[in-house]
Amino acid sequence: MPKNSKGIEVAKILPEKCIGCQICVAECPVGAIEMSNGAAVIDPEVCIGCGKCFEVCPVEAVKFEKKRSPKKIRKPEEVAQYARDNYRGVAVFIESFNGQGATVSWELIGKARQLAEKLNTRVIGFLLGYEVNDSAREAIAYGCDEVHVIDDPLLRTYISKPYGKALTDLCKKVKPEIFLIGATPLGRDLAGIVATNLETGLTADCTGLDIEEEKNLLLMTRPTFGGNIMATIFCEHHRPQMSTVRPRVFKTPEKNPARNGNIYCHVLEPPHDKLPELIDFIKDVVSGDGVDISRFPALVVAGKGACDLETMPLLEELANLVGGIVACSRPVVEAGLMPYDRQVGQTGKTVAPKLYLGIGVSGAVQHLVGMQGSEKIIAVNADPKAPIFNVADVGIIGDYKKVVPVLIEELKKRKLRN
Amino acid sequence: MHFICCIKQVPDTSKVKIDPETNTLIRSGVESIANPYDMVALEAALTLKDTCGGKLTVLSMGPPQAEQVLREAISCGADEAILLSDRAFAGADTLATSYALTRAIEKLAQKTPVDIVCCGKQAIDGDTAQVGPGIATRLGYTQFTYVTEIKEIDTVNARITVKRKVEGGSEIIRGPLPCVLTVELELAKPRRASLPRLIHSLKSEIGVWNAEAIHGDNQKLGLKGSPTWVKKIFSPPFKEGGPRFDARENPRQAVEDCLKTLLADETFAFHLLKQWGQ
Ligand SMILES: Cc1cc2nc3c(=O)[nH]c(=O)nc-3n(C[C@H](O)[C@H](O)[C@H](O)COP(=O)(O)OP(=O)(O)OC[C@H]3O[C@@H](n4cnc5c(N)ncnc54)[C@H](O)[C@@H]3O)c2cc1C
Ligand code: SF4
Ligand code: SF4
Repeated sequence: MPKNSKGIEVAKILPEKCIGCQICVAECPVGAIEMSNGAAVIDPEVCIGCGKCFEVCPVEAVKFEKKRSPKKIRKPEEVAQYARDNYRGVAVFIESFNGQGATVSWELIGKARQLAEKLNTRVIGFLLGYEVNDSAREAIAYGCDEVHVIDDPLLRTYISKPYGKALTDLCKKVKPEIFLIGATPLGRDLAGIVATNLETGLTADCTGLDIEEEKNLLLMTRPTFGGNIMATIFCEHHRPQMSTVRPRVFKTPEKNPARNGNIYCHVLEPPHDKLPELIDFIKDVVSGDGVDISRFPALVVAGKGACDLETMPLLEELANLVGGIVACSRPVVEAGLMPYDRQVGQTGKTVAPKLYLGIGVSGAVQHLVGMQGSEKIIAVNADPKAPIFNVADVGIIGDYKKVVPVLIEELKKRKLRN
Repeated sequence: MHFICCIKQVPDTSKVKIDPETNTLIRSGVESIANPYDMVALEAALTLKDTCGGKLTVLSMGPPQAEQVLREAISCGADEAILLSDRAFAGADTLATSYALTRAIEKLAQKTPVDIVCCGKQAIDGDTAQVGPGIATRLGYTQFTYVTEIKEIDTVNARITVKRKVEGGSEIIRGPLPCVLTVELELAKPRRASLPRLIHSLKSEIGVWNAEAIHGDNQKLGLKGSPTWVKKIFSPPFKEGGPRFDARENPRQAVEDCLKTLLADETFAFHLLKQWGQ
């Protein structure tokens, strides 16, 4: 252990492990830790060797030899406090557009059911809009035990303030312990308002949810640091534990129209402020045909390694053959070969087709987070070490110019035979 | 008019790599930069200032070195810069961050009422997109997220019209000031500093405010004011992947082998070769 000039054994931070969360900075009783270039640094002359930073660092980035008594065991009363008795149930925000529920809401109801079973509690739907009763019944068919609805002409289209207020009011009345919202543009706009109003924790864009056994806390996992690492986040002392969740991370549950559930109607208490007005809606004109790549059962995904004009017709042909459409990675969009709507990945679309066929895609994390839910993944890449092979069910190592034509031929043969 | 732009200093995450063997971050060569979305927000604020006149204050919360991004903002044309720096702010999650920034904006507004706060859509190190809505909610300002274009600003009636991204398209929406805008990258291309401004920025005074200066409630600041905690960090799960066939020698053989493996799953083969079921 390094000692300072006063002979105190001081703590040291390993910069390659530090993720710059600053928890240690906040915890150090003598202010010995500063941030420098994204990593924490301890001033050994100021450090008193208390070991606090070592205890709180979530990634073991602090080197410190512990000589003190082992961590105190939490008393039962303290545990009881965590039950947060007044808050019960797993709530899902049901996003509705023109009277139609968004798919991500049904996906979340499916996940909420699993969480609710572990917690032995109910699944609650929160639904806002105008003339949305059908969606309420649908939410029950997908697995809600009860749906709380505010149906009001003011909520016909989405405006941040009235929606934010209405949803905050519902949360205050119903008091769910967990509240999940789809990470759609609307959901992300709304979640921040509600969490701020309720002064509770909100974890954005989660890709994994689970219940921790000891205290029944929600564990929320999300990519962070530009998708380079995953972080598991929890919210211990505030309720509800809120999270936005990416579409297509969880499966849509079976719909059972015979399921029973209660629908409660609440009255809107509109905000007093002057509100914005919607002037126009411009539908995305995507490559002339308005394709949504996330709806296709098969995708042929062009990467930078197959990014030239001559190749495109070949990929189109392959896509037709497998009953799908051509999508791409980010560099292909940047090169202007495909519109942004066709981009798969963190900053593009999340897809989960039955067949993903990557041609010249290296498999960067930012790309992988957008396609890992695919049922079957085939990769064609010249580099045997390309990370895409690690997630592929089958891989072909080689030049796509040689592989793709043969693949087309062989697929045609097999289609004819069938 | 008084414009405020919030800027965060972030590690350049596009350069961060994970060492697959030791499972740690490779930091060498990773510099701190101004969050790219915030630089677009700055450009938006500068353009607004150019058209309407007024004052632009830039605001950042971070360690003392974050001063660098504020100087950059001044070199581009910002008039005043405030750095929120205090140990009490350390470890803040989005709730505590929006609290501190809001307190600072309220303090600035006491001197000169604020009309528009510009923020980036999200920060590239966290990608949460929550701070903007947090500020708007706390201040009670009109909130416009994912703005791709500022269509019109009507100073007489104190209204703004913007185009913003929504599911499946864009909407044009008009609402009252004051407001908070969070901007998309495509809104504008950040300008470059001129030489005289660059020199000016080096000499400019940057106000540093601590928790006391913004009359912050210590329970709501930094780690104490943060409901969410990081439990653990890990690399995305490593998978082995399925079989690989080498097509470098004999493409046909490799393709055949590959299809054989793939089509061994009969239902999958049926769907692929006939038609996809629901
Ligand atoms: C914040 C952030 C967000 C991002 N969001 C996204 C996103 O949403 N989607 C996305 O896709 N990317 C995204 N990226 C970019 C991402 O990091 C990668 O740069 C990108 O996915 C790489 O695309 P690629 O695989 O097509 O290209 P490369 O990484 O350049 O890979 C090309 C591959 O083609 C192979 N190849 C070359 N020639 C041939 C040949 N003749 N035959 C066969 N194979 C060949 C090469 O071996 C290589 O593996 C993001 C990055 C950041 C920092
Ligand atoms: S050991 Fe204690 S005094 Fe030293 S840096 Fe860590 S927290 Fe601060
Ligand atoms: S707590 Fe650990 S990861 Fe966080 S800043 Fe300190 S050393 Fe780095």
